[in-house]
Amino acid sequence: MLDSDNIAFIQAGVSISLAACGPDRLASMSRGMGCKVLDGGRRVGVFVKRSQSAELLENIRRSGKVANVFSLPSSNRTVQLKGVDAQVQPFDPADFSIVEAHVADFVTEVLPLGLPEEVVRTLFACAAEDLATVVYSPCAAFSQTPGPKAGEPLGAAR
Amino acid sequence: MSVRIETIRECLEGIIPGHIATCDAEGMPNLAYLSQVQFIDNEHVALSYQFFNRTRQNVLAGSPVRLLLTSHLSGAQYRLTLRYLRTETAGPLFEQMKAKLAGIASHTGMSDVFRLLGSDVYRILGIEQVPGPTVPPPPPPVNYLTALRRATQRLAGCGTLECLLETALDCLDDEFGIGHVMLLMHDDGRGRLYTLASRGYPESGIGSEIPVGAGVIGICARERTPIRIGFMTSEYAYGRTVRDSIAADGDADALETAIPLPGLPDARSQLAVPITAFDRLTGVLYVESVADLHFGYDDEDALVAFAAQLGLAIQHHQQAEELAEEPLSPENAAPVVAGSPLAVRHFGATDSVFLDDDYLIKGVAGAILWALLTDFVERHRTSFTNKGLRVDSRIRLPGVSDNLEARLVLLQRRLDERDAGIRLAKTGRGRFSLSVSRPLQLLEG
Repeated sequence: MLDSDNIAFIQAGVSISLAACGPDRLASMSRGMGCKVLDGGRRVGVFVKRSQSAELLENIRRSGKVANVFSLPSSNRTVQLKGVDAQVQPFDPADFSIVEAHVADFVTEVLPLGLPEEVVRTLFACAAEDLATVVYSPCAAFSQTPGPKAGEPLGAAR
Repeated sequence: MSVRIETIRECLEGIIPGHIATCDAEGMPNLAYLSQVQFIDNEHVALSYQFFNRTRQNVLAGSPVRLLLTSHLSGAQYRLTLRYLRTETAGPLFEQMKAKLAGIASHTGMSDVFRLLGSDVYRILGIEQVPGPTVPPPPPPVNYLTALRRATQRLAGCGTLECLLETALDCLDDEFGIGHVMLLMHDDGRGRLYTLASRGYPESGIGSEIPVGAGVIGICARERTPIRIGFMTSEYAYGRTVRDSIAADGDADALETAIPLPGLPDARSQLAVPITAFDRLTGVLYVESVADLHFGYDDEDALVAFAAQLGLAIQHHQQAEELAEEPLSPENAAPVVAGSPLAVRHFGATDSVFLDDDYLIKGVAGAILWALLTDFVERHRTSFTNKGLRVDSRIRLPGVSDNLEARLVLLQRRLDERDAGIRLAKTGRGRFSLSVSRPLQLLEG
C-alpha cells in the first residue's frame, strides 16, 4: 500500500490529522503527534493525546474506521490513508523519541512560514502518559495535494 | 454555545490551516485541509468550494461536518460542529471569499489550481475548545474600540467636507496606525470611482479613476461589501484590472487615465470598505500595507464602522452646502493681474481642461471650471454658489446624487496641486470664490 517514498513522507515534518465517525456520522478528529510505520508499510501507528481525543478514540473503538491525513506545509503535498481495522493501543514509552523527533522536524518545517515557535511547541507539548497509539492497516491511499489529481488513488496520482 | 466564533476569528485566516472531517453513508471518515473559513456571523461560517471532492460528496449526502481550527496566536484548538445550508455562487460573500482565495492561492503557489466555485454556507451547531496548553496571545496592535471612539469624535467636529476628508485620513493614521489610504467617491452615472483624497503616496493621485467592478476597490463598490486580501495577488492588482477593463470595453476615453492611481506597487495586504449612506454607495475607503496578513477581521470591523460614520457625515456636509441660503457677498471686482498669460483650453466633448497644454481635469469638474473661468473673464465674476452651479445649464450635473461638493473639492485640489495661478476657496456654506493671479487666455477645442 505504501511505497518507500510515502513511508518516508509520512514520517517527515508533516502535519498529521486522524478522524473517525460516531454512530450519528459526526466525525471527530485530533492532531497527530507523530507516527510510526510497521510491517514494512502494511500498518501505521499514529500517536494522539488522550486528553484531546476522547470522542475520536471512542469512535475508533466502536467502528475501527479511520481517515488519516499527512501534509507537508512547505509543499502542500498531502496524502490521505484510510483504514477499517484501527485499534487503540497503549503508548509504548520507547516511541517517545519518535514524537520528539517529529515535533523537531515539524518546527523546522513551519518556522520559515512565519509561525511563532512558542505556539508550535505549545501545540505539540505532550507527556508520554497522555498518549495513545492508534494502529491500523491502510486499505486505501489517496493523493490530496491540491490540484486536478487530488483525490486519485496514490499510485495513479504520482 | 460555549465559545463565540467572533472571539476566535484569528483561527479562520488559515495561518495554521484548519481540518475538515466528514463521513460517508457507510461510516467511513474523510479528512481534508481548508484554504479558508469565512466568518459570516455568530451562527454561520462559509467554506470555499473549489473541487468536487470526497468532502463535498459527503456534505451533499447529508454528512455533518466537523472542523478543527487552531489559533496561530495562542495555540488553542477548537472543534466546530457544522450543518450545511446552501451554496452561493455570486454576490458579496462569494466575492469576499474569491478575493481572499486569490491571495492565498498566490501565496501558496496555487494560483492555477485554486478557483472558487462556490461559498458553502454552514450553520454553527457548537464550538468546543480542545483541552491543552496555550500561550497568552500577544496584545493587539491597536485598541480598535478606543481608536473608533476617538476617530468618530474627531469626524463629528468637522464643519466642511474638506475638513472631514482630511480628518478622516488623519484619524486612520493617528488612531488606527494605517499609513497608506485612499478615499474614492462614487460617480454613479459613469460607473466610476474617483480619488478625492489619499495619504502615504509620493503622488496624491487626486482625480484618478477606477471602474466599478475592477480590482479590490471596484469589486468592493459593486458588491458594497468589504474586500480583504492578505497576500499579494496580481489578479486583484488595481493597475492591471484598470488596464484590463479598458482593453475589454474599449472605453479608454471615458476613464480618467491621465492621472495615475496612487498605490503601493508591492502591496501585500489590501482592504477596501464601502462608504454608504441611506442605502446609497458614496465611495470606498481603501487601505493597504506591504506586510502579509496586515489587516484582520478586527480591522475590517473597525473600518466598516468608521466608514458608516464617514458616509453619514459626507452626506450631511453635501446636503448642508446645497441647502445654504447665505446671500452672496457683494462682488469685489477682480484685481487686475499682470504677467505671462495662462492658456486654458477646453474640449467640449469630454469637458477636458488643459492649462498651458498640461492636462488638468475632465468631466463634471472640467465643465465647472470652464464655466467659472468664462464668467471670470467675461463678467469679472469671482464669487459663486453651489446652488448657482446646480442650475447652470453649461455644467449638466447628472442629478441629485452628483456629489457636487465632492467635485468642487476635487477641482480645488487639482488646481492647488497644479499651482498655475487659479485657485478656489470656500467663503461660507455653499459659497466659494475664484482667484486668478495671471491673465487668462480661454481657448475652445
